[in-house]
Amino acid sequence: MRLKNKSSAKTAEARKKRLLSLLEQQGLNIYDSLDKGKFPQFVIPSRSVSNIVYDKKIRQYILGSASAIRSSRNMSQLRSYTQLAWLAFFVNRLVREGKSSTLRDIYYSSQAFSIDFEDQPESDNIIVDLEAVLTSPREEFHIFPEERSSVFGDLTIEYTVPGYEGKRMNLSDHPDGYLIGPSLSSAELVDTSAELVIAIEKGGLFTRFVEEKVHKKFKSIIVDTAGQAPRSTRNLLRRLNTEMGLPVVILADGDVYGEHIAMVIKSGSANAAHLRELTVPDAKWLGVWATDIEKYKLPTIPMTESDIKRIYDLQKDPRYQEGNWKKQLEVFLKLKRKAELEAFSKYGLTNITDKYLPAKLEESKSF
Amino acid sequence: MSKEVFSQISPSEFFYRNRDLAGFSNPTRSLYTSVREFVENALDACDQKKILPDIHLSIKAVDTEKPDPKHYVLTVKDNGPGIDPEHIPLAFGTVLYGSKFGLKQARGMFGLGATMAILYGQITTNKPVTVKSCSDGKTLDEFVMLLDIQKNKPVILKHTTKEGSKTGLTVSIVLEGDYSKAGSKVRDYVYQTSLITPYASITFEDPSGEKFYYPRIVKEMPRPPTVIKPHPHGIDVETIRRMITDTHYQIPAIDNKMIDKVKKELGLKKNLSPKEILEKAQKRWSDISRPVRTVISVMSFLNIDFEGLKKIRIDDIDIANKTITYWDFGESQSHAIELDQDSPYYKQLASTVQGDTLLTFLTKRFQRVGPTTAEKFCEFAKFKSDKRIGSMTNEELVKLADALQKFEEFLAPDPSCLAPLGEEPLSKGIMKFFNPEFAAVWQRNASAYSGFPFVVEMGIAYGGDIPPNGLKVYRFANRIPLLYDEGSDVVLKIVNETEWSRYKIKGDPPLVIVSHICSTRIPYKTVGKENVADRPELERELKNALQYLARKLAVHMSRQGAADMAKKRANLYSKYVPLIAQFATELAGKKKEPNYNQLIRMGSEIEEQV
Repeated sequence: MRLKNKSSAKTAEARKKRLLSLLEQQGLNIYDSLDKGKFPQFVIPSRSVSNIVYDKKIRQYILGSASAIRSSRNMSQLRSYTQLAWLAFFVNRLVREGKSSTLRDIYYSSQAFSIDFEDQPESDNIIVDLEAVLTSPREEFHIFPEERSSVFGDLTIEYTVPGYEGKRMNLSDHPDGYLIGPSLSSAELVDTSAELVIAIEKGGLFTRFVEEKVHKKFKSIIVDTAGQAPRSTRNLLRRLNTEMGLPVVILADGDVYGEHIAMVIKSGSANAAHLRELTVPDAKWLGVWATDIEKYKLPTIPMTESDIKRIYDLQKDPRYQEGNWKKQLEVFLKLKRKAELEAFSKYGLTNITDKYLPAKLEESKSF
Repeated sequence: MSKEVFSQISPSEFFYRNRDLAGFSNPTRSLYTSVREFVENALDACDQKKILPDIHLSIKAVDTEKPDPKHYVLTVKDNGPGIDPEHIPLAFGTVLYGSKFGLKQARGMFGLGATMAILYGQITTNKPVTVKSCSDGKTLDEFVMLLDIQKNKPVILKHTTKEGSKTGLTVSIVLEGDYSKAGSKVRDYVYQTSLITPYASITFEDPSGEKFYYPRIVKEMPRPPTVIKPHPHGIDVETIRRMITDTHYQIPAIDNKMIDKVKKELGLKKNLSPKEILEKAQKRWSDISRPVRTVISVMSFLNIDFEGLKKIRIDDIDIANKTITYWDFGESQSHAIELDQDSPYYKQLASTVQGDTLLTFLTKRFQRVGPTTAEKFCEFAKFKSDKRIGSMTNEELVKLADALQKFEEFLAPDPSCLAPLGEEPLSKGIMKFFNPEFAAVWQRNASAYSGFPFVVEMGIAYGGDIPPNGLKVYRFANRIPLLYDEGSDVVLKIVNETEWSRYKIKGDPPLVIVSHICSTRIPYKTVGKENVADRPELERELKNALQYLARKLAVHMSRQGAADMAKKRANLYSKYVPLIAQFATELAGKKKEPNYNQLIRMGSEIEEQV
């Protein structure tokens, strides 16, 4: 049994305290400004493309030093300023009362306070603003996306959500896997017998892996990312890596999107450049590589024009300038064909777990 | 000249056969056209005598129960100068009789339309026209007349005279019309006519008895146009031919006035025989005027006295064939007699008919042509400047007309023949009609196309009582509203090509544009005279006027925008600051809300400092 290394990680309780104090500080600033007849303002780190830079040291995208001021003095910003103040107020309630919300729920809740968002993208954007102001991911605000991904394997957790405090649960009890939702995200990770985390892009393969007892055969925790991994999933992967000391490997489709799913888990996305703790810098991309397509003689389909355009786009990304990442992009571009994870079915339903996975795990020890 | 005989038709008959051309194609259009013709004649008559017009228009059904199309009585009454009773039968009973042959801006041309309306009424209902006129403020003459279409002559059914008190003319016809279809156009026409004639008061009583009254808005009449000679660039072969013919038709214009003139110059007290008159004339020949000499010459050839002279009309004097052709009213037939080349009067007649030298013709009959320009032109056109214009062959006339068009050294046309409404009356009319939040008008300087001078004046109005239904364009030409064929008009083209968003106008704005083109000849696209062609010179002037006005509107819109903005700011801060205070109080963990009133006030005022 591998026990959690408590000293290296902030506990859920500590994160909550930090957030509440940040919120109170913002509230006091606004309160004082109003009282003194000054226009209150928020300082928001700029998320414009020119302010997003790749930090090689911490191996993820970060925001530069530029920041924007959203001032209630500017009439055109008054509305969005008020929206941001409301969100801080609402998040404060959510966190204090231990309640959860979703992106969509936030959009609808605003109406009860005469805060009118034109549409959900507008409210989603304000949530990202608050993330940037407080440098905390929205999951800490108890705001979750509605996209779902799941986890399965021998991992014991302890809930912190109200009504379940202290209650423990093992994530191998239910073969469909466990939803990575608010309760799971805020739970403490207690212990595990696993020695590896396998993140897999597709729900179908996730079920196959459970059926094939991959968790036992490879002593692993299996995570279904359901496409591009949501932040809560990326955060869980990071915690499994840092708190439980488990290596993370990634299996995705054999195309440029699959390669980028792996990259985002490893080093984050430009969209979340204002956030930390969402990356697993040591995660390894097992496949399917472009070179695997030839090596394993996988059935392929031709790339679309947008696939090819995406390759050219990624070739400009600093993270794809060297090593295997660069090489695989080049081979994809040369092949102009792609293969899905299901392609292995051609050689039998269990081919991927019996042959490919062991081979790639072996190979991964060398990179 | 040709000896062949052609069967002639009278002008009345010609118009009868071609009434579609003049806007009398169906009962709807005919009713509308008749209203226009009479109202425009009335306004023109008042304009000419500088009388502030008072126009009463009424349309009454003869039998209200009948369905349309049916017979209507159309009556137009004005307070103009009236018409001398002796001219009334000719003015209303013949086609092509009018006083508008000079070249100046007028609503109608040649007074054709009114007679056409009378003709149309007679054709469709077989009812006479009634004309009441008072031209001296004392007697009122009433004529009831029919038109003899074949002979182009009036047939007077009744003529009564009674005491009158005010000058004016009332014309009343019965015609077949369709008011249920023409009504909206007629009402639009009256409405728009009042807008472009703010110095007139117009009353319209429709068949249902409803009265539309448009009172006078301004008391000053615009400067009247002066009659001017044509510009050489605006001339074609036919016009030259007519101008030359005009010169020798000065001879047979023999009426009572002319005869009085002859008697006066010869010092005649009593009636003399033709021989005695000629003797008397011989003695005084050098003292008498040229027209009188010509009349004497004609008398000598026809061997008639003054009474005989009154009974004929000179139709042609053909110098080449030495014949004179005249129409005898008494016998109702044409005569031709030979001219005696040895007669001392032959030379007189010949020089009159052969007319002036080209040099004199150019300087006398055209505007802004002096002897120097005329000489230069003759050189350019390769004509001798002392050539008699009456002696020109057809080929030479064509050559002359062509050269007049091409010669570039003529001065620009004289705009004094134009009578734009003027900025002030136009602006007052717009204010009264639309009560807008903003209005601007502009009168451009005169310009010209193909020898015809023109002036563009334009007005723009925004907001106020104007409904927000999008842009509405009122088009006028020589103070006539243009209601049909809007789509292909040059003004509409210019308006539609304008990028209104550049002038801070968007959506369906409460916007009105009033465009008035004045010219001695409006370049209409069609005979219907409802849409103006896109001559580049005209297009440029319209565009300049519109851009100037649109820029003024944009300034207003910005100012208005700033005021709206301040109001909006005040609303926004009153709405949002209390909310911010509420949120901050809970976030900061306080019980009492901060005092934010000062901030709301500052928020409302801040933009003006920026």
